[in-house]
Order: sequence, then structure tokens, then C-alpha cells
Amino acid sequence: MANYNIDARKEMTYDAIVIGSGISGGWAAKELCEKGLKTLVLERGPIVEHVADYPTMNYDPWDMELREALTPEEKQKHYKGIRSGFIGKSVEHFFANDQENPYTEVKPFLWIRGHQMGGRSLLWGKQTYRWSDLDFEANALDGYGVDWPIRYRDIEPWYTHVEKFAGISGEALGLPQLPDSHFLPPMELNCVEKHVKSRIEDQFPGRHMIIGRVAHLTQPLNGRGQCQYRNRCSRGCPYGAYFSSNAVTLPAAQATGNLTIRPYSIAQSILYDEAKGQASGVRIIDAETGESMDYHSRIVFCNASTLSTTQILLNSKSNRFPEGMGNDSGELGHNLMDHTYRIGATARVPGFEDKYYSGRRPNGIYIPRYVNVDEASKSKDFLRGYGFQGGGYRGGNVANSQKIGAGFKEEVLRPGPWEFFITGFAECLPYHENKVTLDTTNTDKWGQPTLAIDCEFKENEKALNRQIRKDAVEMLEKAGLEDVMGFDNEHEPGYGIHEMGTARMGRDPKTSVLNGTNQVHGAKNVFVTDGACMTSSSCVNPSLTYMALTARAADHAVSELSKFNI
Amino acid sequence: MDRRSALKRTGILAGATLALPTALSLLQACQSENRPEWTPEFLTAEEALLVSSLVDTLLPRTDTPGGLDVKADMFMDKVFARTYDAQSQQYLRENLASLDEACIAGYGEAFADLGETDREAFLKEEEARGGSFNPGVWGTSVGEQEPVSFYRNLKSMVVWAYVTSEEVGKNVLSYDPVPGAYKGCIPLSDVGYRWSL
Repeated sequence: MANYNIDARKEMTYDAIVIGSGISGGWAAKELCEKGLKTLVLERGPIVEHVADYPTMNYDPWDMELREALTPEEKQKHYKGIRSGFIGKSVEHFFANDQENPYTEVKPFLWIRGHQMGGRSLLWGKQTYRWSDLDFEANALDGYGVDWPIRYRDIEPWYTHVEKFAGISGEALGLPQLPDSHFLPPMELNCVEKHVKSRIEDQFPGRHMIIGRVAHLTQPLNGRGQCQYRNRCSRGCPYGAYFSSNAVTLPAAQATGNLTIRPYSIAQSILYDEAKGQASGVRIIDAETGESMDYHSRIVFCNASTLSTTQILLNSKSNRFPEGMGNDSGELGHNLMDHTYRIGATARVPGFEDKYYSGRRPNGIYIPRYVNVDEASKSKDFLRGYGFQGGGYRGGNVANSQKIGAGFKEEVLRPGPWEFFITGFAECLPYHENKVTLDTTNTDKWGQPTLAIDCEFKENEKALNRQIRKDAVEMLEKAGLEDVMGFDNEHEPGYGIHEMGTARMGRDPKTSVLNGTNQVHGAKNVFVTDGACMTSSSCVNPSLTYMALTARAADHAVSELSKFNI
Repeated sequence: MDRRSALKRTGILAGATLALPTALSLLQACQSENRPEWTPEFLTAEEALLVSSLVDTLLPRTDTPGGLDVKADMFMDKVFARTYDAQSQQYLRENLASLDEACIAGYGEAFADLGETDREAFLKEEEARGGSFNPGVWGTSVGEQEPVSFYRNLKSMVVWAYVTSEEVGKNVLSYDPVPGAYKGCIPLSDVGYRWSL
């Protein structure tokens, strides 16, 4: 793939504008372009051409002068993001510059951003799970938040649609709380994982341990190569084996001839035509020149990532929307959610000393939710539920060894002991008071208001976390593992990098920002299909649902355009 | 600084200065010819001696390369120089000084000047009180981490510098940059030393 059309100067009017080129923006671009719409994608960072712009993709540690270590300047550039533990030399260029893109933590909140073409689709964990009616009915059943305007049957065909193109590997299980996807062959469990799986499934009826369902190809698809098990995904995959906008959706959009992508374009606001009662385009700031300009279109898809999307909507003020576009309800910016993160247990696995594995599998095990899935599994301590990711591997920190000399070196060179960990992801309730607001006193280098994030986990999340830790320890102990250690790193929200909500879908314009097809109440030609639209958070990873909602909304948008309804 | 530590500090500096020529020549004698001159970016001559001697004692040359063969000490110096901020560099200097100070207090000489037996005896004491690192999950350690000694941290860095060196990573450990497949259960004897990547 080469030669994106980036000349957006000669044409200021398009059928559609998509703000953002990450997981959901890439899907919007592909679907709209394939349906014949001349589409402009606005990307606030640089072009990242598949393969050509993956500078570190083949680096071994010694190919980098300081290996994965960062200089003080690089650490300063990522002074917030570095808390995640994910930023090393080989990937730091795909993490946004925290100094140039400030935000205020009213309460501690980690906001990880990817400001380049492809956004965080280059960096994501690739765990892909369908949501179920357990999720879509959750708010209606316990009264937190508002009811989702859709159910599983509404999104089911769109899951299939995106899965067939994205390529999801996994194993069918037939669980109602975790519906099966359209699967490529699953990756393999290793011997220790198989052992732990059978021990846990024997002793805990209703619990399952499966290989993670992931957006990695286990066989070639549409010209993309299959996973080569290098586990260097976040540097960009030369084989296009994992799903990213760069390798998958944007090349497809480009192939139609309908795509223009404009890099270094910060969406400042969505323009509103008071006479027509619809959006008319997007005002951008050129990140390099500081110049402001307006692009026009019949529809706008806002896919800047959860909080950036809401930032743009809050900043889109007009006579009709003095408090931000679509904010009649006062809910814009509210109901921010994430998943709780890094609570679980680790252990040492006795035996299997003569067994090993080959290949670096970019995936681990998954234990689907088993609490509050029916009457029998109902908890009296908390609402909603959690699932676990984890895995078994030969590791151990050899620096803990008390040996020195030749014996120590031998220990350094030999595979360490087998270890096993599981770590939970819990659903977070939508609370009105967990919110973001525009901060007009602290502006960024382009003079734009920044975000103030005021969000915390509350009693239900803490109760879920206590149970996660307890269950994790119990499962690993009953599986016969040793030195079991429970942990809860008590991370603030944001660490899950699953931020959701702040422009929620709903049935009633008085209590929600978007309708059941992701259209902004009061500006029906504006669609929000990234994480901002989420009405609840489930406990499973959300990206696949963003993809499906985007394809569904794009289909609806084109249908409404053809009927001249928008 | 109280009188006692001041005296000790003077002692260590004097000791190190006196010992310098001997230790340097010893070190040079046991080093391979691929490192005739090394001007550290950050470490002083005395500090460099300590770090190099530690690397050599922890990971000596056997039928596989030693830490000095793969320039683990030189890489560490570069890391100290280019990735530590001023405060961390200051702590590092203080800690290196304290380590040698303890060595002199117990064994009468700086670490670099000790014979093999005394070096091992001294490090055994450090090992015993070093603490240990908690397990990590996805890039960060988990659980409530008890304090880990400076020595244990340094040891961890020596290991990192060694296993991520090209010589060890490519030619000693099992190196397979493009595995092509994942096999979840194979005999360890098919692989040998652990995977380098």
C-alpha cells in the first residue's frame, strides 16, 4: 500500500468527513468509501504507511543503542503515559506527546493516546469479544445509567460483518454471556495452560479457560499474512497479521478511490448549520502551521477516540447548542467508564521442567465471566461482573537468584521456572459524576481548551476487585500451583485503556447524547461510533463492538442519505 | 555527613586511588583484546572498576562469554549517562560508594581489589539481605513490593545488559527472530538455552 491521497487542499467539500483514523475511524472510512461516498479522513498526527512507517519492526534489542531504555527527555515527553509500563524505545513514537497534549487530572486518570494515522489500532491488545444481552440489558435491569437502545440481535449481523474482514481467531464455546464470533482457527494453549485449564474446569463448574479470542490472523486473509509469532505487534506488523487501520481498513478505503486523508489536522469543532438543523462540516487547525480552515460534508463521523470525541463535541458550540453539540440532555462528558485493571494472582507451577514452547504468542488465556450470569451465580456483594486474562510461561526474575559466578550465569541462560498469572477486568458502572469538562484556562500549544478529567472507581468496582483477587488466588491454589500471590495494584481509571462513555447512546434525547443508530440528538448527520457512544462498559474488551457499531451506523447513514433524511 | 562516615568516605577514596593501578592492570589482563581503551561516559575510574569487577564476578567467562566479553559494564555506563536524570545519577554515585564502603569495612579493600574468595564472601552477604523483585504482569510489577537492595537492582541490570547484548542474544541463547508458528509443548532438549527474544 502506498500513496495515500493526502491532497485535501484542492477540494474543501466531501460527502463524508471522518474525524480520526483509529479502530472505529478506519472502519467508518472503509464502509463509507465502499458505499461510494467521497470521504475525507482527518488525522491529527502524521501518516503512518503500513510497513514503510514501522521503523522498529525488525529491531532486535541490540539494534537500539540503549535497547528499550528511554532518555530523560523521552521520559518527560511521556511523563503521564509511562505509568502504563508499555512505553519503551521500540514503540514510544506511537504514543502521544504528553507535554504537547496536556490534560488535567482532577482525580488521578491515565489517558493513553496515539496521535498518528491508525491511532491506537497500532497499539491495542487485540483481544476481541462479542458483547451479549447480559451487557446490553444490564443498565435496564439494575437501574444504573440508561437503557441501551439496542440489543444483541441488532448488532449480531454487524459483528459477523466486521469479523469476516478483520480476521478473529478463537475457539467457539457456545456461552450465552460471551457469544462466539466468526472464527479463524484458535491459537494453541501451552502444556501448563492446558493443565491449569483442566484443574480449574474440574473444580469450578461453570468456569471455562480458553485461548484468547484475538484479531490476529492464524491463516492468510485478503492478501494479509498470518501471524509469525514474533510478538512485536505494537511496532507495526510487516505481515499485516493483526488488525490495524493501517494494514486493513484504510488500504481498503484507499482502494475505492474515494478516500482522502489529511494528516496534521486537529478537529477543532463540528460546524452547525442553524437553518438546516444539521452539521455542515468540520473546522480544523493545521497542527504544523496553526492555520484554521473549514471542510464541508453531508455527514460527519466523529471517531477521535472516546475523550477526544467528547472534547470536540463540547467545543462545538452554536446558538442551538450553547453547551456543546448534542448536549441538550446535559449528559455530554458524563458517565465516563473504564475497566478495573491489574487485580489477580501469580503463582509458580511445579513440574514441566523438561517442557518448553517455541514462538512468541501475542495472546494468552481468557476466563469468561461466570458471576451474575444467572440466578445461581448471583452475588450479593456487587452488580455486574468480570473476566480474566492471563497465561503460563517460563519466566522468573533470575536477578532474584542468590547465586553468583558460573552457576549464576548458567541460571541466566536456562529457561526459568514455569509461572502462571491471571488478571481480572471488571465492569465499571456509569456514574453521572464521573466526567470530563472543557478546561479553558489551560490551553494547548494550538490555543485550544484541554480536558479536565474527574473520574474514580466507587464501591461497586472496589467490591468487584476484592472478589477478583479472592477468586484468582482460589483458582490458582486449587489448580495445585505454588507460591500463589494475590495482588491489586489499585490503579486509577484509565489504566485499562478501555475508556468508554461521555456521549452515550440511549432511547430518550432527554437523558442521552446519541440515538440507537449513533446519531447525535439534534444533529442527525453527526455519528459518534467510538468508545464515547457506550452506554455501559461490560467486562469484556470493547473494540470489536466499536467496529460493529461503526459498520452498522455507516450503513444507516448511507441509507438515510439516499432517502434524503439527512 | 557525621564524622564516622566522613572518615569512611576518605578511606574508600584513598584506598581506591592506591589500588587503582593494580586493579586496572588485573582487569585488563583478564579482559579480551576487544576493549583496550574505555573512557566511561558517566562513571569515574573508581566506579567503573567496581562495576566492571561486579560484572566479571557475577558473570565470568566460561565456555560461554562472560559479562565483560559482551561489554555489559560499558553498556551500563552508557545507560547511566544517557537515561538517568541528575537525581538518579546522584543516588547511583552514592550507592556505588556505599557498596565499596561496606566492602572495605568488611574486607579491608575495595571490591575490585579483593581476591575471588573475598569477593564471593562479600556478595553472599549482599545477596542475603538483597530482597527480591515481585513478579511482573505486562510491564509492571504486581503486589506490595518490599524494598530491594541497590545491589540486587545492579545485579538485575547486569543480567539485562548481558542477555540483550548481540553476542549473547544471537549466538548463546536460542535466537529465532521469526518463529512462524507457536508450539505450546515441546521438549526443552529441542531448544537448549532459553529463547533470547
